[in-house]
Amino acid sequence: MILADFGTSYCKFLDTEGGNKPTITATKELPPRLRVDIATGHNGQRFARKYVNELIALARGGESLIADDNYVLLDCGSRDIKFIKYAGGRVADMGWNTECGASMGFTIELLARYYNLDYQNMRPPLRTFSVTCGVLGMSSIFDAIIEGTPAAEAVASFVKGIAVNAYRFAGSPARLYLSGGLCDNPIFTGSLPCEVITLGRFVLLEGLLHRGK
Amino acid sequence: MNICQTKWQLPTPPRKAGIVGMPPLQVIQYLNDHGTVIHDLDARLVPDSIEGTAPYLPRVYCAILRTVVLNALRLSLDAVYIDVGAGKCDSALHVSTILTNILSIPVIRTRNQDRRNFGTPVCRTRLALLEKFLTITEGVKHHRPQDGVNFKPCQPQAGFWGVPPRDFSLLELFPDTTHIYGWTRCMENKTPAAEDLELYYNPTIPTVFFAQSFCAKAGLAKFLADRHPSALYLDADYNCGGSAKAKIQAFLELSGAYQ
Repeated sequence: MILADFGTSYCKFLDTEGGNKPTITATKELPPRLRVDIATGHNGQRFARKYVNELIALARGGESLIADDNYVLLDCGSRDIKFIKYAGGRVADMGWNTECGASMGFTIELLARYYNLDYQNMRPPLRTFSVTCGVLGMSSIFDAIIEGTPAAEAVASFVKGIAVNAYRFAGSPARLYLSGGLCDNPIFTGSLPCEVITLGRFVLLEGLLHRGK
Repeated sequence: MNICQTKWQLPTPPRKAGIVGMPPLQVIQYLNDHGTVIHDLDARLVPDSIEGTAPYLPRVYCAILRTVVLNALRLSLDAVYIDVGAGKCDSALHVSTILTNILSIPVIRTRNQDRRNFGTPVCRTRLALLEKFLTITEGVKHHRPQDGVNFKPCQPQAGFWGVPPRDFSLLELFPDTTHIYGWTRCMENKTPAAEDLELYYNPTIPTVFFAQSFCAKAGLAKFLADRHPSALYLDADYNCGGSAKAKIQAFLELSGAYQ
């Protein structure tokens, strides 16, 4: 059975019978006739026989991977952010921001390419930009560069602003479980003002695997 | 005294009247007794774009009241009865000012303080949530209550607290055993200003606390949701988007309401 998380920028696949690890494909390179068995994600309904709501996939993935009854799990994607909060083993709160969190991961990746930056070699900055959303926040970068701030530092302050927004959106927990592609961005994870436990990019696939729980 | 304006009975009873919110029972009975066709202006009655209200209201404004203005502009009415007291909202008071100035028909303000309880059988019965809302909202046009015999109470598996949404499609996600709370329950009880009834919720069932975006009741919805042990606070504007529906679906599934 093929499971897939069809994200805005990247798609993740898992063949449950092959014993292989999950794979990643850029969404723009997907074959148009592709079909999978069960899917989640923004583009999932186009490609799958069965579709699972992203929040449900995230929740089931968290239940499978986190050995705790009280936690907040935040998923940061290319286009949106969503979280689920458990208290006493039960769902206590959730949120899905498709508007103000718009294009955050996508924008962070575009900025790295344009300014030729490698986030792996950068450190979280001291300065935080006040970022309403990925697109509007770019003005802060341009203004800072005009003032003489190096591009790398300006972009890092922007990423930190997005991280702080995401943290507040998730309810400002003392400990945050993080999923999604930004788990691999040290500027982003290092800018979150709390304990961060990264779970990687395949939490929603894990959720599809355990959807019947 | 319920009625704001002393001359609420027109020299000639209107053939067609629009109502906003829930005018007092006395007014509804007067209209029913004279065979007046009543249009509930809070509901979606005309297919025209909501942008038609832009000359009169900001775009960032309660979608229900924008709908009221659109309906009032497009429908051929003889009078509008608009409730502006605690049973509706402050914004309705301001909309009544606007309607008075842009319409050439009488716009009559009321302040509904009705306290007689007519019961809430529809809110507590097993029926598609959409049908329950259609029944309750239709009920505001009639001074007689629903016949409770037709609506037996059921054990609730979920709750919906709030006002009737501008976009009824979100109601399709709830199980038939969903009980209704908040202002909609006040509507069925024909006591729209009954604050104690509006504040009531059932803490033992997962409940969606809904408010229209830019509505003053959003504050109450958020407050009550924070107190409820299994709650989802949700607001939606003109239409209920995919992410809002996904939140409802996920909340109900993960809290066991579909079982």
